[in-house]
Amino acid sequence: MHSSIQNTGILSEFNILAMRPASQVMQLDRLGSFHQTRLSFMRTLVRRMVTENWQISTPVFDLDEQGYGTVVYQVVAKYGTFSYVLFSHYLDPECRNDRVIADQWDLTMALCEGTVDAEQLAFLRENVPKQEAGRVDSRVMVLSRANRSARTFEYVVNELTNGCQPNIDVIAEVGYLYRTTAAYGSGKLGMADWEKVWTKHRDFARPFAAEMFTCYILRHFSMEQADYLAAKRAPKTAVKLDENIKRYIGIGNSTGLGMAPFLINHPLLINQWVEMRETALARVVAASEFGVEKEILVHLDMGAKRVIQHLSEIVTGDERQHKSNLTVQKELHLLRLWLQEEGPELASNHLVWRTLIEYAEQHWHVETQEIINTLLIELYPELVDELEERMWVEECYDVTPEMSVSDLISIIEDKYDWALAIDFSKHESTGAFWYRSEEKMEPRLGQTDIDLGMEKEMPLGIGRRVRDCYDQMCSYNLEQPNQNVAHFIIKNPTRSGIVARIQTMANSLYGDIRENLLHTDVLPIHLLRCKLSFFGVSKFDPRSRLWVRNTMFQGAPLIDDFGKPLCDDWHFPIKPIFTAG
Amino acid sequence: MKVSKNELKASLHKAFEGLGFHSGDYHNATDMVIWLEAHGFYGFDRLIAALSYLNTTAPVHADLTQEDGHNFVLDGRGTSILLCGSEAVDLLRAASTANSSAGLELINCYNRTFIIQRLVKAAERNVAFVAYWRQLDYCVKVSVEAGGLLPEYKTFSLIEEFDIQSLRVFCGPSLKIVENQYAQYLKFGRLIDTYDSAKMEDCYRDSLEQGIEIDEALWKTLDDLVARVLVESTELSRAGAGD
Repeated sequence: MHSSIQNTGILSEFNILAMRPASQVMQLDRLGSFHQTRLSFMRTLVRRMVTENWQISTPVFDLDEQGYGTVVYQVVAKYGTFSYVLFSHYLDPECRNDRVIADQWDLTMALCEGTVDAEQLAFLRENVPKQEAGRVDSRVMVLSRANRSARTFEYVVNELTNGCQPNIDVIAEVGYLYRTTAAYGSGKLGMADWEKVWTKHRDFARPFAAEMFTCYILRHFSMEQADYLAAKRAPKTAVKLDENIKRYIGIGNSTGLGMAPFLINHPLLINQWVEMRETALARVVAASEFGVEKEILVHLDMGAKRVIQHLSEIVTGDERQHKSNLTVQKELHLLRLWLQEEGPELASNHLVWRTLIEYAEQHWHVETQEIINTLLIELYPELVDELEERMWVEECYDVTPEMSVSDLISIIEDKYDWALAIDFSKHESTGAFWYRSEEKMEPRLGQTDIDLGMEKEMPLGIGRRVRDCYDQMCSYNLEQPNQNVAHFIIKNPTRSGIVARIQTMANSLYGDIRENLLHTDVLPIHLLRCKLSFFGVSKFDPRSRLWVRNTMFQGAPLIDDFGKPLCDDWHFPIKPIFTAG
Repeated sequence: MKVSKNELKASLHKAFEGLGFHSGDYHNATDMVIWLEAHGFYGFDRLIAALSYLNTTAPVHADLTQEDGHNFVLDGRGTSILLCGSEAVDLLRAASTANSSAGLELINCYNRTFIIQRLVKAAERNVAFVAYWRQLDYCVKVSVEAGGLLPEYKTFSLIEEFDIQSLRVFCGPSLKIVENQYAQYLKFGRLIDTYDSAKMEDCYRDSLEQGIEIDEALWKTLDDLVARVLVESTELSRAGAGD
């Protein structure tokens, strides 16, 4: 039987793990089929907040009758104190726009180190609502904004005002009361540099931890504001949102092309994320060497059942995603049947998870395969969770100048065979180009024979750059045999960037994403979904091939759950059983 | 105004791109400017000086005019170290690996102080470097030990006349070996000044904690350069963002 799992010689504390090869994992359509795992940033953040019992208080809750005003949450985490400052504004519904190019929002927020005094609050009030048009300082770690859901917010407030809980089906269709449209960190707009955050603030010293936290507190505020407004409108009759409904409410998110260049410009970080995810999967496979406990099989069955329900509750107008969801549900039913019929035998089967993975690869949809991998990773927290500390790596590229040109040619042929296999003479192979618009520098995808701006193309076509460099290097090697890379670069200085990338990525396990991003039919949405899966979002709802809606923290514990025993199974959220009362 | 390293990096990448730099060059040039500014070497002032040249011509790189295995002469053709510093140091690094020590003279180049960042970065690969150049009527000497994180920066009085736009760099397994092997070239006059590595560390720590102070006029200049890589927004182009 063909096996896609190859022994790549990665040593772990347990044994030599069998990791999936880069040629399989780094295909864009597979990366675009990833779902959240225990290593996703929302999951690790929630584990940390709950188990470390972070204390959230509200020193300022200054909202008017309409819910507009200022709120400050004080956060006492394990290692430090932080302030989450939120401004709620009136927004004309006509001006509500989720795109990067918007300049007004319902809410604007800032996560700051330490406590905030009146002077700083005034400074933040002046600048935070302006977002990109304002400036903050290095006490601020994250700047974010959000818009109300036109479909749910007023509906929920009205229901609570009338003394009723909202219909769970309405909540299920949308999943949130507010959508975040951006969460900026990493030193943008005068904020604290990422190096400062990870060296000074251990509570947020993981990729995107502060950004995810900002969205988590937004979720808390969204429900607190709904309760507040209902109480203001009907002090005697209003009810508060039911806790089970609260847990089922997340934060909406729209992600567009702005996220795509990040994945191409941070290949070492993406490699690290993928490598940790694949290490987790390899550990899980190894754990089934001598069979698995019956209880584990039951957990897998319960997980599959939950995913089926989760997918059945997703409302999407995207035909491709809808079909995929239906296919995955059907195939997970087959998985459940297999577990029921073969259960007793499976418990003692050698490397049963490898058998399952191979079967899925041969018979099932790529999204089913990756959901199964997610479910398997979920079964073994004791093997997986410590990897969350290894999700960051410094993005640093360096030329290895002493390497011979012929060795580098061999490396390209080995590691970038996918790029050399692309026929760039075909029109469709270079039919698209990426550029930055003068509108807030928004990344956009153009068609070469239609759009203007090709001469300002962003260098995201890694495959083509590798190909061009390879061709030039082969010619150079014929003319100047036995030379090293330093001499090649002296003669061809414009290649230094791609050479540094090739040489650096050649040392990584997974390397670059294997896709021609210049192809006419490229699907950037796969890039977005890949990154969002590592964030930990759910309910993917593609709105085109260029942007996707999703929900964050839906199903996650509430602030009131901090310090209580952690129920860390909130992935693939499903509608709670709730009787309005 | 203050900016973070990351924000500065993003801006400089695009600004250098706007000047016609290719991807390797704009990454390296950005690293040089930020490192110098964050460590107290007046990277912004030196950038302003460099821009007066870079803004008037397409990017020029150095030519290799002489080599004998482990000694090289590069002609910078009047360009900035921001453009030719990396390839010069890489050439030395490659030769040093094969021959233990190597030396290089880069003639006809400008903004030589930027070379410090390239030397510090290259020293991470366990190569020691000594570089010196003439600055007006004194000489600057920079040394970085193999594996060292910060350089030693000293200025001396001149004891010999040498080309005012050249830069000499030597490298080897350790500073001691380099200083011994190239002793005939490493003769300097009276010590004028030393820039202490503790001050570099303090400066870096402050820049990380508070952000890096940048003159608004320079920020505006960078914005103008960034604008060169932006494409006009049209109804058609908005479709390319998902509209």
